[in-house]
Amino acid sequence: MAFANTDIADLVSLERGEVDRRIYTDPSIFELEMEQIFARSWLFLCHESQILEPGDFFQSVMGRDNVLVVRQKDGSIKAMLNTCAHRGNAVCRAEEGNAKSFLCTYHGWSYGIDGYLNGVPGFNTFYNGELDKSQHGLAQIAQVANYKGFIFGTHDASAPPLEEFLGPTGRLGLDTLAMRGDIEIVPGIQKFVIECNWKIAVDNLFDWYHPQVTHAAALQPNVFPASPRREDRAEKIDMKGVNMQSGASLDLRGSGISGTKFDAVVVLGEYGHAIGGPTRSSTGYFEFDPAWRDTPRAKTALGPVGINVAGHPNIFPTTWATSALPQVSLRIPRDPSHTEIWWFTFVDRNMSREMRNVMVTMANRLFGPAGLLEQEDGENWAQATAQTRGIASRRMKHLLNMGLGRGKIIKESGLSRIEGLTSEYAQLWTYYSWAQWMKGLSWDELKKATTPGDCI
Amino acid sequence: MSEHIQMSNATESCPHEDRIDAMLRHYQVERFYYDEAALLDSHRYEEWLALFSDDAHYFMPIRRTRTQREMDKEFTQPGEMAFFDDTKQLLAGRIAKLKTGRSWAEDPPSRTRHLITNIRIVKDDGRTLEVESNFHVYRTRLNSEETSWIGSRRDVLRRVERSFQIADRRIFLEQTVLLSRNLSNFF
Repeated sequence: MAFANTDIADLVSLERGEVDRRIYTDPSIFELEMEQIFARSWLFLCHESQILEPGDFFQSVMGRDNVLVVRQKDGSIKAMLNTCAHRGNAVCRAEEGNAKSFLCTYHGWSYGIDGYLNGVPGFNTFYNGELDKSQHGLAQIAQVANYKGFIFGTHDASAPPLEEFLGPTGRLGLDTLAMRGDIEIVPGIQKFVIECNWKIAVDNLFDWYHPQVTHAAALQPNVFPASPRREDRAEKIDMKGVNMQSGASLDLRGSGISGTKFDAVVVLGEYGHAIGGPTRSSTGYFEFDPAWRDTPRAKTALGPVGINVAGHPNIFPTTWATSALPQVSLRIPRDPSHTEIWWFTFVDRNMSREMRNVMVTMANRLFGPAGLLEQEDGENWAQATAQTRGIASRRMKHLLNMGLGRGKIIKESGLSRIEGLTSEYAQLWTYYSWAQWMKGLSWDELKKATTPGDCI
Repeated sequence: MSEHIQMSNATESCPHEDRIDAMLRHYQVERFYYDEAALLDSHRYEEWLALFSDDAHYFMPIRRTRTQREMDKEFTQPGEMAFFDDTKQLLAGRIAKLKTGRSWAEDPPSRTRHLITNIRIVKDDGRTLEVESNFHVYRTRLNSEETSWIGSRRDVLRRVERSFQIADRRIFLEQTVLLSRNLSNFF
């Protein structure tokens, strides 16, 4: 089915906290997302430490475009489409590595690491030397920029500069990773596929209502030892009438993972960026080694409001800056019901060997397909996506009305924040902003439409 | 680390008694693996865990599509990111998690079948064996979900009494982007 602009606006209701479930399965919606969001927005490509030497490359994805991110001889970074200017074949088929040139294995067109067309078989014999090589290089990504080591690209030459696009909220999100020291990648990007719509995965990253139930098994004391500090232990929430299939009550043993006092802070930003989760003082021990927040460098970068924000940031649309450990979880839409998850993990270069090992081990154990936490997430997201295929099931709404109408927005230090308990404001803001993107507004109109008001 | 293949020790030129010993040893290792697979497929995880030594390392690296000349960097190493990087204690934690009745990704439980084949003893110093084998782990979940994981394992087996203990297990999958939503089962 086709959706006109007015119909798109109706798919998300900020007033009712409801989302139309058709957005998770409809192929025309997915095509429109590729055009209006993924061909326009700045998208995370990789971290600069993944490609240190000239010719080092990492193959990334922008929408459905395969993109080669390549370190140049002068130290700069270029990003270009992985498609031969002649007949379209991929010029690189490795996920990462080092290249002196990129060869199309179809007819042998050969490109420099800067994308320039250096060699064409039969250039004189068959083309009579008349092919303008300068016009047939690999297509450069319209804009590429580096924010504190994080490389982003956009297909839209008219998009605002990266820092402006990120705004205070997006920058705060990335700063919560970048300020943990002189960070570098840990080799090995975990990649896996979940049969879910990408928005279900993104929606979940703000969700501090689910860990205690979804991850109840992982939060058992013999799996995740409870924090020795009494103040880190979670407060009990009321569970009256919550029973399992066996009829037994679902008793939860919180271990500080979802906040202790339920103090939450949500930050809403222009273009759909958001942060949702606990404040620093209520995050318990989930944020590993939070001492970095006390460094003068971090205090300056994060500012007086940002320093207390310990929830999960999302750089719209699909870049989750994970806060437990410095990680990025990128959600790459493959089709309406398949999403690839890519985990990038970082450590401080100056960290002791022991601390580095602890961080890497923790990262391997928490997230990724075998991660004690993430194992359960995929099941929920796949089933939530699958149920929206039913005509009757999809007539029901995706509900995000927790705390609706009570979210008073405080504007301070350039950030728009809401204080209070666990809520669904950040998810709702993401969907609302998604609808604005889908209308195909100009950049100015889009920024205006996604500037938070006084209340949500 | 790469999945470098070692040749099994040739015994054809050895005396008859040594060849019989080699066959017997092979038979013992094979029986050990078949019993191990049976424990996993019948969800008897505590008994499975008891097959590991206390200092065991259970490691499944990430594999990456790379060009032929960079095949030495195909797999990640210990100390880098991995799909599994477990001690015996963590394996015990995973099993405890499965037993809680709240491990939703495995309730209803997956149905698995572990097929272990191509067993080759590549080293034997009397105390420990190095053994390579291939596996096909087939999983179905709920009514329509089907996963096949094919790969190889390289184990260090320690001789104990009349059997073996797994002191080290490296699992090499034939996938780079993992084509399943999770790894909630053991290999």
